[in-house]
Amino acid sequence: MQYWRSMDELAQTPEFKEAVKREFPNDEWDRLPPATRRQFLKVMGASVAFAGLTSCRWPKQEIVPFAHRPEGRTPGIPEQYATSIDVGGSALGLLVTSMDGRPIKNEGNPLHPDSLGALPATIQSDILALYDPDRSQGLVLRQGGQDYVKTWDDFHTWASEKVAGTGAGVAVFAESSSSPTVARLQQQFRQTFADAAWVEYEPISRDAEREGTAIAYGRPLRVQPHLDHARVIACFDADPFLAHPAAIPLSRAFTEGRQPSEAGISRLWVAEPGYTITGGQADHRKAVAGSQVPNLLASLARELVANHQLELPEQAMNFEAAFGSANADGGDFIPGLAADLMAHRGSSVILVGHGQAAEVHALAAVLNEGLGAVGSTLTYTEAPDPGRSNHLQAIADLVASMNSGVVDTLMILGGNPVYDAPADLGFAEALAKVSHTVHLGLYDDETSKLCSWQLPRAHSLESWGDGRAWDGTLTLQQPLIEPLYGGRSTIEILAAMLGESNPSGHDSVRDTMSASFADGDFETAWKNALHDGIVSDTAWEPAVTELDGSSLAAAGTALATLVGAAKPTAHSPELVLAADRKVFDGRWSNNAWQQELPDAITKATWDNVLEVAPVTARELGLSEGDMVEISAGGASLELPVCVIPGQAAATLSTSLGYGRTAAGTVGNDVGSDTYRLRTSASLWVIPEVGVAKTGRKIALATTQDHFAIDAIGFGARNDRISTLIRETNIDRYLADPDVIQHMDHHPPLVSLWKDKQYPGEQWGMAIDLNACNGCNACVVACQAENNIPVVGREQVINQREMHWIRIDRYFKTEPGVGPLDVEDAEIVFQPMTCIQCENAPCEQVCPVAATQHTEDGINAMIYNRCIGTRYCSNNCPLKVRRFNFFNYHKELADVEKLQFNPEVTVRSRGVMEKCTYCVQRIQAVRIGARNDNRPIADGEIVPACAQTCPTKAITFGDLNNPESEISHLRGDKRAYGTLVELNIRPRTQYLARLSNKVGGDGGGGHAPPHHADDSDHGKEG
Amino acid sequence: MSASIPVSNHLDNTTDDPTRRAPLIVGDNDFHSVTEAVCGIVEMPKTPPAWWIAFFISVSLTGVLFAMITYLITTGVGVWGLQTPVAWGWAIVNFVFWVGIGHAGTLISAILFLLRQRWRTSINRFAEGMTIFAVCCAGIFPGIHVGRVWVAYWLAPLPNQMSMWPNFRSPLLWDVFAVGTYATVSLLFWYMGMIPDLASIRDRAKSKIRWFIYGILSLGWRSSNRHWHRFEMAYLLLAALATPLVLSVHSVVSFDFAVSIIPGWHTTIFPPYFVAGAIFSGFAMVVTLVIPTRKFFHLEEIITLRHLESMSKIMLATGMMVGLAYSTEFFIAWYSGNAYESFAFLNRAFGPYAWAYWIMVSCNVLVPQIFWVKKFRTNLVVLWVASILINVGMWFERFVIVVSSLSRDFLPSSWGYYTPSIVDVMTFVGSFGLFMTLFLLFVRFLPIVGMAEVKGVMPQAHLKDVAALGHGDYHGDILTEKGEV
Amino acid sequence: MTADTTSRTNPNDGAELFGLVASFDKIDEFLEAVTKVRDAGFSKWDTHTPFVVHGLDAAMGIKPTKLPFLVFGAGLTGCTAGIALQWFTNAVDYPFLISGKPIFSLPANIPVAFEMTILFAAISALVGMLAFNGLPQLSHPLHSSRLMKRATDDKFLISIEAADPKFELVKTHELLESLGPLAVEVVEV
Repeated sequence: MQYWRSMDELAQTPEFKEAVKREFPNDEWDRLPPATRRQFLKVMGASVAFAGLTSCRWPKQEIVPFAHRPEGRTPGIPEQYATSIDVGGSALGLLVTSMDGRPIKNEGNPLHPDSLGALPATIQSDILALYDPDRSQGLVLRQGGQDYVKTWDDFHTWASEKVAGTGAGVAVFAESSSSPTVARLQQQFRQTFADAAWVEYEPISRDAEREGTAIAYGRPLRVQPHLDHARVIACFDADPFLAHPAAIPLSRAFTEGRQPSEAGISRLWVAEPGYTITGGQADHRKAVAGSQVPNLLASLARELVANHQLELPEQAMNFEAAFGSANADGGDFIPGLAADLMAHRGSSVILVGHGQAAEVHALAAVLNEGLGAVGSTLTYTEAPDPGRSNHLQAIADLVASMNSGVVDTLMILGGNPVYDAPADLGFAEALAKVSHTVHLGLYDDETSKLCSWQLPRAHSLESWGDGRAWDGTLTLQQPLIEPLYGGRSTIEILAAMLGESNPSGHDSVRDTMSASFADGDFETAWKNALHDGIVSDTAWEPAVTELDGSSLAAAGTALATLVGAAKPTAHSPELVLAADRKVFDGRWSNNAWQQELPDAITKATWDNVLEVAPVTARELGLSEGDMVEISAGGASLELPVCVIPGQAAATLSTSLGYGRTAAGTVGNDVGSDTYRLRTSASLWVIPEVGVAKTGRKIALATTQDHFAIDAIGFGARNDRISTLIRETNIDRYLADPDVIQHMDHHPPLVSLWKDKQYPGEQWGMAIDLNACNGCNACVVACQAENNIPVVGREQVINQREMHWIRIDRYFKTEPGVGPLDVEDAEIVFQPMTCIQCENAPCEQVCPVAATQHTEDGINAMIYNRCIGTRYCSNNCPLKVRRFNFFNYHKELADVEKLQFNPEVTVRSRGVMEKCTYCVQRIQAVRIGARNDNRPIADGEIVPACAQTCPTKAITFGDLNNPESEISHLRGDKRAYGTLVELNIRPRTQYLARLSNKVGGDGGGGHAPPHHADDSDHGKEG
Repeated sequence: MSASIPVSNHLDNTTDDPTRRAPLIVGDNDFHSVTEAVCGIVEMPKTPPAWWIAFFISVSLTGVLFAMITYLITTGVGVWGLQTPVAWGWAIVNFVFWVGIGHAGTLISAILFLLRQRWRTSINRFAEGMTIFAVCCAGIFPGIHVGRVWVAYWLAPLPNQMSMWPNFRSPLLWDVFAVGTYATVSLLFWYMGMIPDLASIRDRAKSKIRWFIYGILSLGWRSSNRHWHRFEMAYLLLAALATPLVLSVHSVVSFDFAVSIIPGWHTTIFPPYFVAGAIFSGFAMVVTLVIPTRKFFHLEEIITLRHLESMSKIMLATGMMVGLAYSTEFFIAWYSGNAYESFAFLNRAFGPYAWAYWIMVSCNVLVPQIFWVKKFRTNLVVLWVASILINVGMWFERFVIVVSSLSRDFLPSSWGYYTPSIVDVMTFVGSFGLFMTLFLLFVRFLPIVGMAEVKGVMPQAHLKDVAALGHGDYHGDILTEKGEV
Repeated sequence: MTADTTSRTNPNDGAELFGLVASFDKIDEFLEAVTKVRDAGFSKWDTHTPFVVHGLDAAMGIKPTKLPFLVFGAGLTGCTAGIALQWFTNAVDYPFLISGKPIFSLPANIPVAFEMTILFAAISALVGMLAFNGLPQLSHPLHSSRLMKRATDDKFLISIEAADPKFELVKTHELLESLGPLAVEVVEV
């Protein structure tokens, strides 16, 4: 898959030669059958047939041709099935669109508590993994440097010998799973093989939170924040809006609390090392080194206790000792936050991120107790698996026993420990000492390469399963398609090892479920569960909790140490690691959509970068794109510098999940592998790393300018941001709702001709900047819906990315500040896509009328008419048009093409493309409505971006229907258009952002000159 | 060849003494010697090696051009440096550059004709030829710059499988018609003027093939006065038609930008500004070509110093017009109070593309100022170097307009910086190859000076007794003769 | 041919005559000669000059050409065609909605209409000129004349056709001789 290379480059690249090899097999490995189109037609036929029977894979599974149309299925009409995917031990509910048996798009399941109909970008992209030609395509046994093709029977015969008796010498390494069935089978496994070890490990784990609660309450609990009730939210190195299994409900709840009302809106305080999208939403943000967060939180505690007479529960009294050393210079952050928290006791909450130590979480728990948060803004539920030891401990013990030769057979069921285990453990070396190793995985990855057996794993859309949401809601996972590469799921493997002759995921899951549905008719319940994707009312009850004085006291000293941690300096800075916002822990590194997705903050693609504060960059003499060598504990690696205002001084941030060597053709050698610096001693914050310039500079594949540009551009950009992304303080807005309208003035808009009238349905969109947090979900949704190609690193560097909707990210700095003296800056986001101007500048310049207006007011593109003059793109004031500079689909494998949405033309080379409000969705609904002879209902048409938005920031509807939601929003005082002074009459309008600074007068003010009565505001169109 | 190799002082006819009319042809030339001098080039028994060398180089470069075009069409316009926001780059810059150069010819033949600028006769054929070749080069770029060249014919109002028609509101379509018309009319004009001279070559032909080929080309011209009579009228009409045409073409080209909404493009000053620039660059290119040519083919007596001086005066004038346009743009940007507009121009002069802007200003505005001094106007080396600098400057003018305006328009999020690819560069270089190839073929095989017209302005062509039949002045005023024409 | 008719054949070889050609090299003498020939009342005669000699039309008494009317007509046609084309294609046959603008509005159509006007007119000017002149005419008796070779170089010629009713070989020859030409040539068909 070299589709990001132009032909000439292609010709020489080793990747290309590699690809050629793959096409003309010349070694054992490649002799495995490649996925052919015919094979897929069969598979599709089959799954369609089963889909007819509520799309189940019944025990008796045959390939049947699609000769007889299954009942209730019309070819060409997409169907949606509820299923789920488990990521890091929490299940997320999906509605997967299936077109003639091909799953083509992941959407959120509205009934699922962690999805609410939306999905993060990562999970949406996971559909690509299903069709990834790099996936492991058959069982392989590696012996004496030879690869042998094997069958499942071979494996199970082998396994039944190895995993026998009491299971002595056997160890199972599993990624964490929320699946009750897996838990049940694990239980059986432990009973059957008493001496076998079972290890669960996740590189990105919330264990610190779990153990923090254990310290505070004496037993592990799961934290369930309820931000909709919170008036004051304080995040300490926490990113609940993205880096959390329940990010969607959390951000939606927060958004609800931000809707303007007489009561005002909630206030968000964030203290973090590097910018997160949560930090982007903050009213007050403090950049603080990761190692200084405990100090800051302790200082807050001291402030609360000392100056606000907050009475902490008596169990925590000894805990207070630790506050003594707290001396963070939070400026007015700490006093302000303390006062605010006190003022909102019972409606305020403190959240700590998973990167902070358990003691810090414990301290937060104590403070939340003291502030009366528990029970209102925050509840606890029992941890689902109280018995297990924490992930780090587990893998450390495993490695120890591997080294000591205790383990003779290691079954790795999912996960990629060779790549993502803490570097100091030396997992790979230990693995070499184990005589029999098995790896079950989607890919033939780093771990698999070192294992004797590679078992192809079934993708979650290919297999049966179940799971639990963050709040415990029982969730079902059903296959939409036969395993494309003959893979099997963990459940099936376990079942087989437990001696089931015909291991069927379907049966196993049914068995588990039958226990859950205590009473009533199981079949009905089962059908409903399958249909809904969840079993309703299965969320866990809030736990009854009481602080545990003894464990708190025990943790006091540890906390004191953390609080007393030394400050980093520019010359021995700390390195803060974080789960990547795109490839997460590396599991999506072979996902082209994720790789090309611009990072929410840095806007970098195809790389992990080193985020550096401007001040630190100056002290170290670093500038954008410099390759620097970071060294810690003997290991070192190179990362490109990306200077980000708002980054904590002397604190370098980067993300995990890059530098893969066996990810696949997309993910190999992209970025650098930061796991190599990650040790069990410092999983998240690595103190005193060495920084050395290499003297080399690379072009970062970013989709937006670096913030520090030439003075003229910098000044102009700052001037424009305030009118492009209008923002004001809630108090000011409540006092004078028109303030938004007065932020821009221009002469009255007159056309040279009689304005066209638009009767009938007229589509329009509103994007609420107060809700958008820049999470990128819409970008991927659009890419999946509209067959938008991936262009690859080089083309992104050439500014040829194809995303139809992009999230413009601006740093807001004080007026008059020059590019070189920016220290801190607020971040604002503006989703930007075609705003469907009524007087579209692009239309009049097209010589062949390839873009023209439809009667319902959409600025349509006629792809097969376009000759590619690119004049429309030049004349587009928002530059939202995208041009196919090459044939970006040329090198796609047949299997990848199966993901295409047949409702949308796949654009050829030399053709312009752009957002059309998902015209195919509009037409689908319209046709349906016409058939039923009824008008289109409001909200019936949902463009892909709006559908998946976690915060419902995007609203679409009929402007001519006064009752429609869009009409109401357009009437809102916050609604304004971009660049309306050009008289383009945009159909998409924005709702201004509201901030809630303490006594703040954020933004607003009247744009000079004060307009004469006939002058207009930014609200036309 | 003219009999005597004249010494330079004979050649200096640049006097500005109003009391005597400066001769347009110097040396002791009569009608026949002019014929000899001009036809001599075509009739050279043996092509000079220098020509072969130049021709070889030009043809190779033309090869490069077509290689680049093939690569482009087979791979995609991505091989150029284009991107979003700068979706038009060198291709359009080169198009405007070449079209601009293509303005001198028709201007000289048409406008100077109507203005009775008799000195035009020695250089108009030459300039017209240059026009045609420049327009050929210009025509290539819009053709190949579209994403799907194979359907570029949809630009023409031809019935097609979609039964759709082009959108006549688009300036690009106006371009198609304007440039198309201009190319056709220039060609007609050029060819028609050449008919009598082709006849001369025919009548002097020694070989049968030569006699046959030029016989066909000259359409059996008998230099009959009954024919001359209509020829004159046709020539006059073409001149009258070509004059508004030449002004319209670059105006329409400027509409491509002026009709858009991009700050730095969207301005009403463009049509006159572009036309002035076109004439400016056109004359510069004529000078660049004519100085070596007249030397090489010993045409100093026919294409005299005075001609070159007049051209440098025109360059001075048009150069100042262009300078005025530059400053007006800035003034309006400031005076309009439009933030986007004023930024666009600040950004031009001091932004990332400032280097290009200042090259443009120094070449187009400062360099021509030397032409205030006669010493420089009449110094061939200075003149030649200056003319080349002006060509460079005018190319950069188009670059600045196209690229710097696009690279930073309304939304700062989509600002960018455009850098050409090697393919961009080689395509442009190649287009010079094509231009020179055509030009070399022209000077070798066609009369590069309009003999019939030159003879018409020689002293011998005038009656001793002017009272009898009109003042026998330049034929342009034939209409003014009392009724009986 | 019989001898009593006014001789239109070459007495030497009896070949049919095209006429007589006389050449001059001084423009004043030439013009004088031309006026004489004109006054002698010939109709089928012509002059041949390497460039346009002013006053020659007057001297020959040539009527003004109709060419301008043709060109004007062609121009009008071009203009109409231009507007009609745009109106039919964009407003009648396949109207589309562009930038909220009217389906048909003249301002946008002026450039194309203008160019079409010029194009039609220019082509008609050249084609018309050639047509009126009966060109191209690649074979003509005069092309075989020796004197004619210089007519495109530096000599001025008068040709009188034998087809002219007033033409009489001897008389006409004398007439031409009397005008003091460089030479007089008998041109056969």
